Parts: sequence; structure tokens; C-alpha cells
Amino acid sequence: MEQKGFTLWFTGLSGAGKTTLARLVEGELKARGQKVEVLDGDVIRTNLSKGLGFSKEDRDTNIRRIGFVCDLLTRNGVVAIAAAISPYRSVRDEVREVIGSFVEVYVECPIGVLSDRDVKGLYKKALAGEIKNFTGVDDPYEPPVSPEVTVHTDSETPEQSAARIISRLELMGLAAASEAAGYSEEDEEEVRRRLEALGYV
Amino acid sequence: MGLFDKFKSRSPVSKEPSPNEDATKAAKRRAVLLGLDGTPCTLVRRFIEDGTMPNFRRLSERGSLLQMDTAIPDISSVAWTSFMTGANPGRHGIYGFLDLQPDTYKIYFPNSRHIQSETLWDAVGRSGRRSIVINVPSTYPAKALNGVLISGFVAVDLNKATYPPELVPRLREMDYRIDVDARKVQESHDALMDEILTTLDRRVKTLLEQYDTGKWDLFVGVITETDRLQHFFMDAVEDPGHKYHSAFRDFYGRVDNFLGAIAERLGDETLMIMSDHGFTGIKQQVYLNRWLVDNGYLKLKENARSIEEIDEGSRAFAMDPGRIYLNHKGRYPNGTVESADARPLLEEIKRGLSEITSEGAPIVKRVYDRDELFNGPCVGFAPDLCVQPVYGYDLKGAVNKPELMDREIFTGMHTQDDATLYISTDAGSLRSGKPHITDIAPSLLDAMGLPVPQSMDGRSMLARG
Repeated sequence: MEQKGFTLWFTGLSGAGKTTLARLVEGELKARGQKVEVLDGDVIRTNLSKGLGFSKEDRDTNIRRIGFVCDLLTRNGVVAIAAAISPYRSVRDEVREVIGSFVEVYVECPIGVLSDRDVKGLYKKALAGEIKNFTGVDDPYEPPVSPEVTVHTDSETPEQSAARIISRLELMGLAAASEAAGYSEEDEEEVRRRLEALGYV
Repeated sequence: MGLFDKFKSRSPVSKEPSPNEDATKAAKRRAVLLGLDGTPCTLVRRFIEDGTMPNFRRLSERGSLLQMDTAIPDISSVAWTSFMTGANPGRHGIYGFLDLQPDTYKIYFPNSRHIQSETLWDAVGRSGRRSIVINVPSTYPAKALNGVLISGFVAVDLNKATYPPELVPRLREMDYRIDVDARKVQESHDALMDEILTTLDRRVKTLLEQYDTGKWDLFVGVITETDRLQHFFMDAVEDPGHKYHSAFRDFYGRVDNFLGAIAERLGDETLMIMSDHGFTGIKQQVYLNRWLVDNGYLKLKENARSIEEIDEGSRAFAMDPGRIYLNHKGRYPNGTVESADARPLLEEIKRGLSEITSEGAPIVKRVYDRDELFNGPCVGFAPDLCVQPVYGYDLKGAVNKPELMDREIFTGMHTQDDATLYISTDAGSLRSGKPHITDIAPSLLDAMGLPVPQSMDGRSMLARG
């Protein structure tokens, strides 16, 4: 299969599992021979976007920068995986428009579950007012209207969510089918004939 | 090992097991689920009454025989997936035998890898218990599990249909057949009937051998020949003068012998028997795409043979059996329908469909909106509408039909509200309410004393407390 670049964009609240899923999907795509680069929001803020704050303007700038790099990678046949809160719909849609081959994954998890989980200890601080402009607490999050995939990390294991993302990518022709994949072309013809015999096609 | 293998061994959150059960006893409980594809509950009751199924009669005296609702759309791929996951299609992601690849009009055939929720046997395996699963449709290619799985319809290659692969030589030795070759009907109805009987015979031999020699805590065995028989011979039931009237009953007599053979073997296992949908006779096949074309909603390229050849300017299209999709802008390459226009258009189509009549009566019983039926992460690629026909009017997705209605070789069609569920008294008393196909997996887990995963929408039929 010809290597086709695309951007896989994870959006969701802090601690929802974006980085975990990005890494799982990265591993799976690499195992299938695809070139993959992960742009992690937390890491980007320590270099590419160092100095930017959490105002809407700075957040949008951060996303445009990540989007810019994703676009370069995508054009060169790399799978660019972005894992960033990216709370504002308009700038995500702007990046989608620029890149074209763009798959949005909404990593959904109720805020109650996240603040109970609080892996990085950030929700506690935000709720205590020690961190300002914290998405989901005192800063807005705008969920995608029609993401290609929605995963529910409160009720699915990371492996289940990642498997769903991969199967979606396979269907879209963006991930190489694994060996265990369903029907070969020959099989498909046979399936079609059998379904025809029962009036389904 | 790929992701799909890995997630089977993980433990998602589970609902609490029932508080009143005797844990030690329950932990040892085994369960048997026999499937009769497409066997209507009303037909079972008739065959119990008239002596065609004496073994089922004896079983019915030791349990409850209930009429059951199945999933919508009421076809095997959706219904069996709803059974095995205990979930609605919005969660498991299977809406038909064929579907369109995202962002295209290109057809693909969903298979087991496209199922997005955990199966009953995944849940059983996680508790360290073993399952034998034979001939459940939509399980191809066979995925690894704690136990044995032989995929059903539409499995192509026995090697890919069998787990573990070491079982393949034995299946070949027994001349196991994955499915009836329905194309035999082109030869003759006699040839098809022979094919159905032979396939049933081979199936039963393998089911009984696995039952007797395999290690299992959950045994799931499905007969699909019932469905095949009814697609082509449903008209024989009502008509005592029909050439195949007695052949139809004899066939069910053989199915009953199989039930008797299992009943003889039962110890203290809970037995459930189910079908994935009912069946009734066909008056007319109805081509929804013809209706959409005639009413200006759908444009097809010249001599189009499938929905892949949809033309520009289309606002809606249909897929088998009664799925209607709007040609949404942003979702399909030549999408025309803006999201603001979707609701009025859907209402208009619903109104139009309700006005289709045959012999002076409507042929549409009800049209469901997407959100009335589906809920979950896969709802984004669900049909916008699902049409439920009146008995006798079989909805089809074909695009190359000159008339709205006609008759083909088929004499039977599926029904949604007349599937079968039998539960033996070992399971204890049952809750009230008509069962739904998604209730079976939670009921089996409950009967085995195992927790029901949160991903299951159905509720156990077993009474509690």
C-alpha cells in the first residue's frame, strides 16, 4: 500500500487520554510499516510554543503552529499525530481546512471522572483556583460537531479506543490492513455472490 | 500481536453481580445457547401444538417460551452482532450486510473486525471461563478467544473461520459446511432442499461432537439452515397442498431431534434457545431506491447496478433493508444536504413513505429516526431513518428495478417482533417485559454468575432479589 500522509488530531480535556492513545496508535501504525510522528501538546509547549500562555489568542497560536508542522509532515507522506487539548472549534476547523487529509478524534471523558482521576494533580489545583484558565474548569471546551471518531475513555480501555481508531483508519484507507483483516478482494466477490443469492445485494 | 488481540484481555469496568446469588454454586454454572436463525416464535408455538417439535414441547414445559423483539434493521448481521455484544448498533457499529466506507459511496462488507464492542465470549473469557461458539453469523474472520470458534455466515475460508486452527483438519474430515449454497435454487428447489438438509446434518454432527468432546462453560451453537429454508420455502407452511409442505415440517422435525439430543445431554446447565428474527410470507418486494428516484430525492448514473453509482444532485439514498441516508454535505463526496435542511427533508421523506400503499393499505408500519434506535460512539455513521414495513412487504436496497414493487424467487421475509427466546427453569424466575435480543448476553452471563460489562445495553431476563 502506498504510504499516504494524514493528520490524526486528538482533542479533549486534560487527562482524558490523548497522549496515551496517540502513543498506542503510533505503535500500531509503525508496526504496519507507516512513518509516524507524534506532536504532543505538553511537549510542544516546552519548545515550539515556549512562552505562549493560555489566553484564547495564545491557545489558537499554539494550535496553528502544531497544525503547520502537521501539514508539512502530512505533505511528505508521514502520519502526523497531534495530541493537544485544542479547546476551540474554529481553529481546529481552520487547521482541518489547511491540511485536508485530517482525521479528528474526540477523546471524550466526563469532567467529574477526570477530576477524580486527576493523574497530573492539575484539576485539584485548578478547582482550588491555583491554576487559572484551566480548560473545563474556568476556560471553555468546544467539542467537535462531527469528529471522524469519538472515544469514551471513561468506559473503554485505551486498547479498545485505539482499536476503534485503527479500524476507522483502515476503513478510510489510511491504515494498512493488518494480516488478520477481513476479506480479500477474492473473498469480497464471493461474499457479494452469497449475499446476492439471498437478495441482500 | 495486534491491538485487536490485546484488548480482549483487558478488564473494563463491570456492573455489580447480583447480590443474592450463591457465589460458589454460581461460579460453576454452565450455560448452553442454541440459535435457530430466523425461526419465528409463532411457528415454534404452532409446531409444538401440532406435534412437529415434541422435544421443544417437553422443553417448553420446563421453561419459558417467549416472543422477542430483535434489532432494527432486522437482518442477521445486525441481529447476531446485537446478540453477541448485548449492545445496540450505535455501539457495536454494524448496520447491515453492506455499508459505505467513510467519506465515499464505496461499498464494503462489514466483518468481525468492524465490531466495536466486546462480545459475550470476551466477557466469559475474561473470567477465565471457556466458550465454544459455532456458526454465529458475523464472527468471520475468527478472532482468538478462550475456547473454540467456528464462524458462520458470511465466512469464506474455513482456515480463517476457525479458532484454534488445529481444529480445521477435523472439520474437513467431517465435511463440515459453513453455509448452505443458496445458489442451488437456480438448479431446482429440490436441489436446494437437498443442500439445506445435508448442511443441517453436517452442522448437527459437528455441534454434538464439540458439545461432547470440547471443554466449555458456555456452549453457543447456531443453525442457519432454518433461515435459508424460510427464504425460499416460507409459502409451504400455510399451504397443505404445497409440494414442500411436509418437507418443511420434516426439516423442523430434524431440528427438533437436535434439540432433543441436547436436552438428553443436559445436566444442571441453563439452556436458552433463540432466533435472531422472525419470518413471514412475502407479498411484494419493495425497492426504496426506486421510490427515492421517482420522488426526485435520488439520481443514479445510467444503468447503475449499485448505490456506488449515485449521481450528483442526490439528496437521499437507501441501503438494504430499510436504511435511508441523507446525502449530507461534508459526509459524502457529492453531498448536497446542509445540516439545517436535514430535519425538514427527513420529515418530508417520512410523510411520503407513509403514503405508499398496496392493495389499498399502507406498506410502512413505522419510520424510525436515527436517535430513536441508536446510541453510542458509532452513531455518526448510522442511517438517518430506518423503515419498518408491514408484514409481507420486504424492503430492498437494489437500484436497478424499474418498478417500486415486484416478486422474485424469495417467498419469506424477516420480521422484527416475532423472534424466539426460550429460557429453562434452571435460570430461576424471569422478570416481566418482552425480551429484546440484547437481553440474551446479559442473561447468559447472569445465569453463569458472571458480571455484565457496562458496554451491554440489554438487561438480564433473570429475576432478582
